[in-house]
Amino acid sequence: MADRSNVVGTVAGPGDDPNEFVFVTPSDKSIKTGEFITYTISVEGEPRSVFARVTNRELIRGLPEGFLADPEVGPETVAATLGVPTDDTELYRLTATVIGYYDTNMTTFANPRQLPDPGTPLSIAPHQQLETVLPNLGCETDSTDVTTLDGVAHVGWLLNRPAEATNLHIPIEEFASTHLAILASTGSGKSYTASVLIEEMMRPSSRASLLVFDPHGEYDTLAEMQGEEAFQGEDGYEPEIEYYDPERLRVRISELEIGDVMAILDNPSNRMQERLSTAWQAMQRQESRTWGIDELIGEMERIYGDDDASVGALEWRLRRSIERNDLFHPEENVPLDEIVDPGQCTVLQMDTLDRRDQQLITTVLLRRMYRERLDDVRDRDSDIEHPIFALFEEGHRFAPASGESPSLGIMRTITSEGRKFGFGLGIISQRPSKIDQDVLSQCGTQISMQIKNPNDQDAIKNSVEAAGEDVLRELPGLTPGQAVVSGDAMNTPALIQVRQRRTPHGAGSRPVIEEWREAYDERQREPTQSESADFGEGDSTGVQSLD
Amino acid sequence: MTDTPPDGDSPDLDSCVRIGSIVSSNSHLDYVVEVYKERDCDRPPELHEREFGQPVFIKKTVNGTEHAVIGVIYDTQLVDPDQGRTGPRLAQDDQAQFTPGYIEERTTLAGVALLGTAEIAEDGTIQEPTHQMPRWTLEVEDTVFHCPDQVTVSFHTVDEQIQLAYMDRLLDIAGDLGSEVIVALIDRLRGVLPEDDPNHRVLDVVEQNVQWQAREQRGVV
Ligand SMILES: Nc1ncnc2c1ncn2[C@@H]1O[C@H](COP(=O)(O)OP(=O)(O)OP(=O)(O)O)[C@@H](O)[C@H]1O
Ligand SMILES: [Mg+2]
Repeated sequence: MADRSNVVGTVAGPGDDPNEFVFVTPSDKSIKTGEFITYTISVEGEPRSVFARVTNRELIRGLPEGFLADPEVGPETVAATLGVPTDDTELYRLTATVIGYYDTNMTTFANPRQLPDPGTPLSIAPHQQLETVLPNLGCETDSTDVTTLDGVAHVGWLLNRPAEATNLHIPIEEFASTHLAILASTGSGKSYTASVLIEEMMRPSSRASLLVFDPHGEYDTLAEMQGEEAFQGEDGYEPEIEYYDPERLRVRISELEIGDVMAILDNPSNRMQERLSTAWQAMQRQESRTWGIDELIGEMERIYGDDDASVGALEWRLRRSIERNDLFHPEENVPLDEIVDPGQCTVLQMDTLDRRDQQLITTVLLRRMYRERLDDVRDRDSDIEHPIFALFEEGHRFAPASGESPSLGIMRTITSEGRKFGFGLGIISQRPSKIDQDVLSQCGTQISMQIKNPNDQDAIKNSVEAAGEDVLRELPGLTPGQAVVSGDAMNTPALIQVRQRRTPHGAGSRPVIEEWREAYDERQREPTQSESADFGEGDSTGVQSLD
Repeated sequence: MTDTPPDGDSPDLDSCVRIGSIVSSNSHLDYVVEVYKERDCDRPPELHEREFGQPVFIKKTVNGTEHAVIGVIYDTQLVDPDQGRTGPRLAQDDQAQFTPGYIEERTTLAGVALLGTAEIAEDGTIQEPTHQMPRWTLEVEDTVFHCPDQVTVSFHTVDEQIQLAYMDRLLDIAGDLGSEVIVALIDRLRGVLPEDDPNHRVLDVVEQNVQWQAREQRGVV
């Protein structure tokens, strides 16, 4: 205690809240809000470092604002005129909220229920200590070299500290089993952060079984993990990146539930609904799992007669919406053993499918995988004998707060029950307010990035338990790549800079100007056509040149 | 009177108008000066030479070096010894009044607050001005001189920049009229500085601040 060389401030007294205290620092010890500070208390005779988060900073002594009256006259000039010294004049009053000391038995923070006395010296919390106690790593001491731990994901470093000074390694098991939400407005780095997590999960120390539902084709570059040394294990392990393009995405018709079919057919009449569900149930009871529309219609005709008008109308709709859609097939299915495997990340590229089809393939796949996981946990035969983690871009599409989506039911089931069956979901969305609240509130770990929209901020406030006021306040001001990590994977929320990807990022905005100019140059190289346009015959040739 | 050239032309401290002499003090930095009249010297100060906000100086030789202790008139007071003593007159008007042992006449007293010191050079100009609190005590009967505007500017110029570093002390001594003295000093400096001098803008900010604070204290804003 006698050594005050690393002391940055001194406790002045209690703050407004029961867990708050106020301290004072001179200007040269510049402490930002969000910084973690510590002081020592004695708990049952043992000295313990108590951690606290700085939540507010205000100037209590500084040059008066009147000195700023003329923008062309610097305040220090006015100060010099009046003989007021300007070095080290400023004093700051900071507010901090006690997080607690790290209880090595509970491996989380314990509240000392006692504020520091006035005069208590405060230091900046050391890097290694923070790296140990901020994430929920279950360490048995309060200072461990966390880089040596298995199953951790290095996501970035504390934003208030220099780059890579205080690194954050979050436990993969925690967010992969109790679900993850990555929430931010567009362009703030959701896909980037998700890719960082994927990279971490695919490293030899974790070898995850991952599935990415990618409606925009943003994950094309993950394949570059293959051949990179960082991802190779000593035993010859290398991550497998599988791309499933729409050509290979199939839904076997018998996998659809009656609700799904209703969603596919627009507005069937009550009578049609009744006929269809009777026949559908009859088909589902059959031994064969590989029946098609023909068989289904045959069944309806068997029950209702050949000339039933509703059956006729249904036939027309079923053929148009299901039979003529390549996604549905009487026999073919996405083989689960191909898409899930430890050490494999499968990207389902759904960018050319329309929204309904995206929802349907997702619904059916999730149902099948959930069933297999259930079987596995209940010691029945199963195609998936290991935990899996599925990541959803545009999460609000699959679990919408309003409007119907066939996938909502299974998403709710997995987020509420999945942890028991080793099935984790990661929901990525730029509109948290449009995600089903049940689904969102079940996401135990949250990575929130810049969010300006007040509705979306409210959605986070309402569904994310761990997000305190001081954390939510940060969200509008974040820039791309900055994030608040909170929830099950953390002992307390932290503001971080997400690290750089090892693989290139494939989802940036398009270089619009460059593309215009290139397209223009391209056109210029087709002289005959631009000439013929001058004669008013450009229409047909113009279309040609666009191809 | 021809030996006193108009203000500004000569910063020569030897030929400055005498304003008065010290009669008492209220504190180390706060002196009372009795203003000279016709009878006291050849050339008593004219009204504008001893006005409110007029800088003054007192010469002091310390350790063989001649110094000017600079001050400013921050208050004045009239003293009429007869006031209050003349009750209802019983005697006739032309009858001479008899006031035994009391021959003092009406006088003007000026309050002078000390601002700082400077050395007086051989050529009569001042050097090394400082706005630190003067440590030397003045004496009763010390002569107080009118400070020419050029000397005032020299005293206020430190490293090319105008300074009023005594301001907090002056505000303290001058009390109610503190902001007015400072504004008067600033006005005086402004009048002497060249028009394009960058210090003008700084002085504006200082003046605004002082006036604003005064208004706040007086409950105007
Ligand atoms: N951690 C980071 N480090 C460096 N750059 C980043 C980081 N995160 C994001 N960026 C930059 O921000 C850009 C946008 O990121 P990203 O594509 O992940 O946004 P998004 O939130 O997924 O947007 P959208 O909603 O449009 O999909 C990236 O192209 C990248 O340049
Ligand atoms: Mg994205």
